[in-house]
Amino acid sequence: MTGILPLIKGLIFAAVGFAIGSLAALGLSTVTPQALKEPLITLGYLLAVIGWLMGVGMWRTWGSEWFGLKPIVHDNSGRWKRYFRFTTDHKVIGIQYLVTMLVIFLLAGAFGVLLRAELADGPQNIMGANDYNTVMSLHGIMMIAVAVATLIGGFANYVLPIMIGAKDVAFPRINALSYWILPPVAILLLATPLFGGFDTGWTAYPPLASQTATGALLFELAFLTFGVSSILGGINFIATVVLLRSPGMTWGRVPIFVWSVLAAAVIALIATQWIAYGLLMIILERVVGMHFFNPIDGVGGSALLYEHIFWFYSHPAVYIMVLPAFGLLLEIISTFSRKPVFAYKWVVRAFFAIVFLGFIVWAHHLFVSGMQESLHGPFMILTELISIPTGVIFLSALATMWRGKLRLTTPMLFAIGMVLNFAVGGLTGIFLADVATDIQLSETYFVVAHFHYTIVGGEIFAIFAGIYYWYPKITGKMYNETLGRIHAVLMFVTFNLTFMTMFIPGSLGMNRRVATYPEELSDINGLVSIFGYLLALSFIPFVWNIIYSLIKGRKAPSDPWKSKTLEWQTSSPPSIENFETVPTVTGIPYGYGDPTVVHVDVEKKGNR
Amino acid sequence: MYKGSLFTVQGSEQAIIIDEAFFLLTILGIPVFALVLAMIVYSLLRFRANNASEEDAKPVKFHSKWAWSWLAWSTVLCLFVIVTPGYTGLMDLRSTAEDTPDLTIEVTGQKWQWVFKYPDQGITLIRKDEVLVLPNESLIRFEITSLDNDVLHSFWIPAFRQKIDAIPGHKTTLDVTTNRIGSYEDSTTYRVQCTELCGIGHSTMATNVKVVSKEEFAKWVTDKQN
Repeated sequence: MTGILPLIKGLIFAAVGFAIGSLAALGLSTVTPQALKEPLITLGYLLAVIGWLMGVGMWRTWGSEWFGLKPIVHDNSGRWKRYFRFTTDHKVIGIQYLVTMLVIFLLAGAFGVLLRAELADGPQNIMGANDYNTVMSLHGIMMIAVAVATLIGGFANYVLPIMIGAKDVAFPRINALSYWILPPVAILLLATPLFGGFDTGWTAYPPLASQTATGALLFELAFLTFGVSSILGGINFIATVVLLRSPGMTWGRVPIFVWSVLAAAVIALIATQWIAYGLLMIILERVVGMHFFNPIDGVGGSALLYEHIFWFYSHPAVYIMVLPAFGLLLEIISTFSRKPVFAYKWVVRAFFAIVFLGFIVWAHHLFVSGMQESLHGPFMILTELISIPTGVIFLSALATMWRGKLRLTTPMLFAIGMVLNFAVGGLTGIFLADVATDIQLSETYFVVAHFHYTIVGGEIFAIFAGIYYWYPKITGKMYNETLGRIHAVLMFVTFNLTFMTMFIPGSLGMNRRVATYPEELSDINGLVSIFGYLLALSFIPFVWNIIYSLIKGRKAPSDPWKSKTLEWQTSSPPSIENFETVPTVTGIPYGYGDPTVVHVDVEKKGNR
Repeated sequence: MYKGSLFTVQGSEQAIIIDEAFFLLTILGIPVFALVLAMIVYSLLRFRANNASEEDAKPVKFHSKWAWSWLAWSTVLCLFVIVTPGYTGLMDLRSTAEDTPDLTIEVTGQKWQWVFKYPDQGITLIRKDEVLVLPNESLIRFEITSLDNDVLHSFWIPAFRQKIDAIPGHKTTLDVTTNRIGSYEDSTTYRVQCTELCGIGHSTMATNVKVVSKEEFAKWVTDKQN
């Protein structure tokens, strides 16, 4: 019971913060013509978040220091309790992220099932239009949050410092802050139905986003908060990889997963501010009455400006999602083909080519927006060029498997599935990069199928590969391999059935974000829905497996996969300092088939 | 070149251009996917480890010529696609931009219906259940906007393929060259569908469309004017 005391303190301090913020809002309301409700929510929320953070332990470990008091900085006591307060150990934070993101994923997935239930036939029967829009918007933003935060906040947090031989990340307190900012995000989003719903989709274009019910304001505040978490994570991982590598770990000996996280962190650091400003401008429109995106009597602006600023972040954001997925894919394929990552240097160059190109293609989301014609051609060309570095990643994945000794464990099955899924996702992207075809396909279910193939078929499959791959390391137990393989095969089959079929109504003229559609598309949609239910069911063996194995699983050795990266050269789970002694790196981490290539000096490495 | 379509009815010349682009991309995409699939299937069949053995595979010596060759082929394919259907499709769709249209229609989107004005004929279709009647074999230019203080909408007629957003305070244009007689009665793709989420009424913000012969259109105009 005392374990959750920090959470209770957090809520109480949040309430106090909210009260103070409300007083400020009352003061503000005397000088603006806006109604009181939204300024009150905004200022109240701002101070409530600060109160929450202080309450869950940031005051005790960090804030008190600013006021000359003695903080208790690195308190890792309490086997369970440390997960429910502001704790700085990267392994604790990684697990906090993973569990939270998994819960959000399953909840958002349940919303997806609800959507498919409504879409199973033409007429509107299960939900009202506003409820449908809210469920659809929540499904979108929750999944976006999972896609952006899980691989970096969850896996990279837990594994990356160990992979480079470090004790923790560069800024452990900022790391904890990045996590503890997230519960307010989840609360705001799930509270939107109580405030009139949130019917704008996660893209939340103005003028609708500025005019519609208060639920949209909660979404803006939530997304803004989430962005802060992402930026802090970006700073942390760049500093960690640059500064904290073990002696001997030159850049050429860094595992490919670490490179991919570095590349993604660069994007997170540079791109996120743009969406933050865009969201802030909408909040200012709502709360103070400014006119950035509304052409009122010639003194306002244009909705198009928001679209540019939104996609300037949101396109690079998909590379935050997919680059660590590619990195993890190659680690897993290498381990389970027992071969080095093929063309390692080319892959690193490809990662950074994708980072660069990813920033200059955003307007392919605006081909039918009414933006000026002269931009169509250049953005089409730049977008299609991204297929080239992406192709290098595929080269590496396929050539690493080629002539390998493949072991089809659960992580490997997910990895192979990811390669096939992303091939479909990437190729269908060309149809959207081409302006002519995009005119027909934009805003239809073709787009929905495309991005589910890349994000779910690509990144989420990588996340599951990572969950099974690192489960022994994190929990110290082995999961059930048979159940894992069943999950992998079922999920691959049902996923492809659902989303391959979905291309069809998209091509036949069904637009997205609607709850009703022409009757004759009922049959095909009904089929998509049934496959979707099966996809949802495929998670049952997964949930059973990870919980049951925690209790009854076989004890895991430190290196169940005979992999060579540093996290496997220490105990499962690792001790608090990760290694007994700092490992000295002497070669690349892919010395399969070549006994002269040794990653870490055996005499000097840590716990076995 | 390509008759028939994955998208059902081709109600405009622009639809033919767009469908050809789609067809070409599909033809080019299939071998790429087939290569990936073939390499994976072959690997799964030929390179599976004997489960008991834990030995490593022999590392394949990296010859940079393979990587350069892969890079070269993917660049060639990418550039090809950029030229056609990319650039050629774009130019084809723009070919009517300087032509004088046979008919101009001013479209205003508002929550949650379309209002159509035929300025040269002096007709306005105000009611949501009215049918948008258009003449066959004509270049029709739609000039589209949203009401001030309203939200973003998007103007799309699936049978014609053409689509563009309706923005408050802006005017966007869309050219359609009709090439067959058809209507919402034989295909639901003959409808003006809003395709930018605009709130509660978004799903049902649609107007039925009918393309008739030029003579019938002239008769319809005269009827409407009285």
